Amino acid sequence: MKIRDIALIGILSAIITAGKLALSFVPNVEIVTLLFIVYTIVFGYKRIFFTSVVFTTTEIFIYGFSTWLLGYYIVWPMLIMITGLMKEKIKSEYGYATIGAIFGYAFGMFFAIVESFFYGRAYGWVYWIRGIPFDLIHGTSNFIIILVLYKPITDVLMKLKKSYYNL
Amino acid sequence: MNKKAIVIISILVITLLLFASYKTFLGPKGIEGAKEVTVHIVNENEDVDKTFKYNTDHGFLLELLEEKQEELGATFETSDLGTMVIGMMNYISDPNKQEFFYITINGEEAMTGVGEIPLNDKDTYKFELTNY
Repeated sequence: MKIRDIALIGILSAIITAGKLALSFVPNVEIVTLLFIVYTIVFGYKRIFFTSVVFTTTEIFIYGFSTWLLGYYIVWPMLIMITGLMKEKIKSEYGYATIGAIFGYAFGMFFAIVESFFYGRAYGWVYWIRGIPFDLIHGTSNFIIILVLYKPITDVLMKLKKSYYNL
Repeated sequence: MNKKAIVIISILVITLLLFASYKTFLGPKGIEGAKEVTVHIVNENEDVDKTFKYNTDHGFLLELLEEKQEELGATFETSDLGTMVIGMMNYISDPNKQEFFYITINGEEAMTGVGEIPLNDKDTYKFELTNY
């Protein structure tokens, strides 16, 4: 990994953290999913995997350690991996919007599984059922945000990538 | 109307239908007196050791505490991280003395805030003023 890559990872994770904080007043509406998908498409999964680790670790510094942050170390790399694997098959923003939607709808279920390891199955079940309305908001907002913003952000980042790496 | 707008409106309509279905079929429906729980408050500094028994249909501890706030003399502090109990029996913990209300459930340390502690039948939720 080159110094350029390390600097890039820092910048990209800082943008994700800032984007998350900027929208934190709206429950479960976020641009983190969009950014991870776009980043993976533009910069490749290897660099973005490290970006997700830096982003999650920054979250710990902001919010303190808790079990849901443990899930972040799994869930974001999982999204990056899925996006990387689907890259060749998906030809339009509709495909990525669908990935983002499924990811948002399943988000609560995934964390319910993680929580149930710590607090028992009953707690995990309650956690998921109670969170379904938030998952609905999450999945649907992901779909709309990605559908609208995927193309313009990808185009801008592709241009920036060329000048950054002197391609 | 362009294709994207139609797709966005469609998914919003589907989401609203799913939301309505959740409210109808899966949303928490309380049953009066479905759970009997105990709230135990200990504050040795103030000579407080009180136990309250409640029949409740709430799903989470915070909802019960909010309902019984006056009787329990509870004070809450809300931040980005959720709601914290900072006072019980009209005594507010003093951060300068490193005081806080330590919460246990049936003797086991609570791992989450009161907003995320589910109420279970016959459980005892203890709030003990202690120092960190």
